[in-house]
Amino acid sequence: MGKFLLLAFRNVFRNRRRTIMTLVMVGGGVVGLLLVGGFFARMFWGLRESTINDGLGHIQIFTAEHFNREEKHVLDTGIDNWRQVAATVSTGGHVRGVAPRIEFYGMLSNGVKSGVFMGSAVDPVAENSLGFSPRIAQGRDLDTKPGGEMEALIGAGVARSMNVKPGDGLTLLAVTSDGALNGIDVQIAGVVNTGYKEVDDRYLRITLPSAQRLLQSDRVTNLVVGLDNTDNTDVVAAQLAPRLNGLPQQLVLKKWIDLAAYYKQVRSLFSTIFVFLGIIVFFMVLMSSVNTLLMTMFERTREIGTMLAMGTPRSWIMALFVLEATLLGVMGAIVGVACGNLFGFLLNHAGIHLPPPPGTTVPMAFKVLYVPSLMVGSSILVIVSLALAAILPAIRASRLQIAEALAHV
Amino acid sequence: MNELAAVDEIAELVSVESVTRRFPLDHNYVSALDDVNLHVHSGEFLAIAGPSGSGKSTLLNLIGCIDKPTSGRILIDGVDTSTLNSARMTALRREKIGFVFQTFNLIPVFTAAENVEFPLLVQGFSSSVRRERVAEALESVGLSARANHRPDLLSGGERQRIAVARAIVHRPALVLADEPTANLDTRNATQLIDLMHDLNRRLGLTFIFSTHDQRLLEHTDRIVRLTDGRVVSDTQSGGAHNAEFQSDEIMVTQAQMKGSSHGQVLASSL
Repeated sequence: MGKFLLLAFRNVFRNRRRTIMTLVMVGGGVVGLLLVGGFFARMFWGLRESTINDGLGHIQIFTAEHFNREEKHVLDTGIDNWRQVAATVSTGGHVRGVAPRIEFYGMLSNGVKSGVFMGSAVDPVAENSLGFSPRIAQGRDLDTKPGGEMEALIGAGVARSMNVKPGDGLTLLAVTSDGALNGIDVQIAGVVNTGYKEVDDRYLRITLPSAQRLLQSDRVTNLVVGLDNTDNTDVVAAQLAPRLNGLPQQLVLKKWIDLAAYYKQVRSLFSTIFVFLGIIVFFMVLMSSVNTLLMTMFERTREIGTMLAMGTPRSWIMALFVLEATLLGVMGAIVGVACGNLFGFLLNHAGIHLPPPPGTTVPMAFKVLYVPSLMVGSSILVIVSLALAAILPAIRASRLQIAEALAHV
Repeated sequence: MNELAAVDEIAELVSVESVTRRFPLDHNYVSALDDVNLHVHSGEFLAIAGPSGSGKSTLLNLIGCIDKPTSGRILIDGVDTSTLNSARMTALRREKIGFVFQTFNLIPVFTAAENVEFPLLVQGFSSSVRRERVAEALESVGLSARANHRPDLLSGGERQRIAVARAIVHRPALVLADEPTANLDTRNATQLIDLMHDLNRRLGLTFIFSTHDQRLLEHTDRIVRLTDGRVVSDTQSGGAHNAEFQSDEIMVTQAQMKGSSHGQVLASSL
């Protein structure tokens, strides 16, 4: 077996120029997959972390009814004893903090113009402790002092359409938990640019006490749990679930991935694109390698005839060709992984920025992530591709008529 | 006991019986061998001679089990090769036959020793046996010192001696050599002829080779001459061959050949 492997290895380097060309082609395929895949992975990672840090958190806690029955009014299905729940959750491992939220909607007006908003009421101290800071474009964040002025952050789109700026006043109208219409006046503390135009056009953020006064309820819609690391989400969720079962109100946990619809859509779309790219690379390597390996087979016809004449089983000849192609694939994969990581390193340090993706307003840094599973997957792809490419030449070689092969010039 | 009877007692290694080989050519057939009979005993040193296109290589290919006759049958060491399937033909070649080719046909990426080792590798010998046999084979062809050289670093004569070592390393019953001296200069050709003859005498190896090289024919015990795919003479004893081939006086008909079972001097006995 050792000698057979040695023969295959030496045959790979028999025509060095051709071998180098094949390695460049195979390695190029791997480099392409690593760079594109690494960029996508970095994009997924960035989108995941920004989605979480923009306020989604790693885990959110709702009442069971929140998802089970139709809500008539905001906070109909809110969490009653949310302080107790927050205290219970905060004692868990890997938990950095818990932030109460009220997600609500209503109308706003500056006396001249009116519009609808999708509001979020927060505890600024808890939010800040979890690093959930809104991207302030103008003005400042909400005051963290309890009992301060009733303030609001509005989206850049809201500010533009309402023609308001920090320091101006707004009236917020919403339906209370009893079904009555209530209103409060707030002062605009700052303007936020979320990066998503549709969100910016409806964005409103006020403090929890302000919202509770507006909605006439002490409840919150959900509790947002921040962890020390996104990778601990599953572990913490598994630990928290039984602890929440002992509380008076029936609560459910939602992991960030369950709530990040946009992230899932983006990931699905780009994953499909990547699979398509992988298929292209696979067939590119396959088709060009078939040609190269057939050429190799024709050049070695007499040698194959000699080996067959000496009693070499035809299966050995076939295995030899497949082995040579596999070795070539392994070497191409090594070259590709090495070059891919090198190019990735250079690109990561080149400071390249891409235009804002559709639906966003912030330019995206071009970064490539080093993903071991991607390196292994790309390598396997080209190795399998080359091994498959060798099958046709291998079959033809193994079926050569010995007398004709020996007479081959 | 006369000479004929003595030869009969030696085991018959190759028996070619009424063999015909035709190749398709456009819508017709060309006959490379036509009703050929030949019997070779163990330890013979036999040349198949004849002009280009006479069927020498075809006959060697058939005896070497790398081609199949259109009709007739060939027995190697008593085994009727026409009854063997592909795998058993391969096994027969592997175990009983060694090949030497006109163009040496060494594996260029292997060293001389590795080339010689290859038949043993295919037969599944252990590495220690392989090492021992390769050393013996290289010693027998006088190229132990060149064991680790690649073919491209060897002269033509050395390459052909390595090819001979490769052909004998697994101790086959029969060595077939197709025009072994055709690509060699006189000095190397003479050395190769002497080497093969020495191996024939010393180890009792049976050699059958095709040639039209007069130098080789002068050293050959028995010569079978083909013309247009038919055996036209089968003569024995080396020294007289030269004159015989030049005068071409002693000819046998195919019908006469068919009756002979071995390589006695047919012409003189007729």
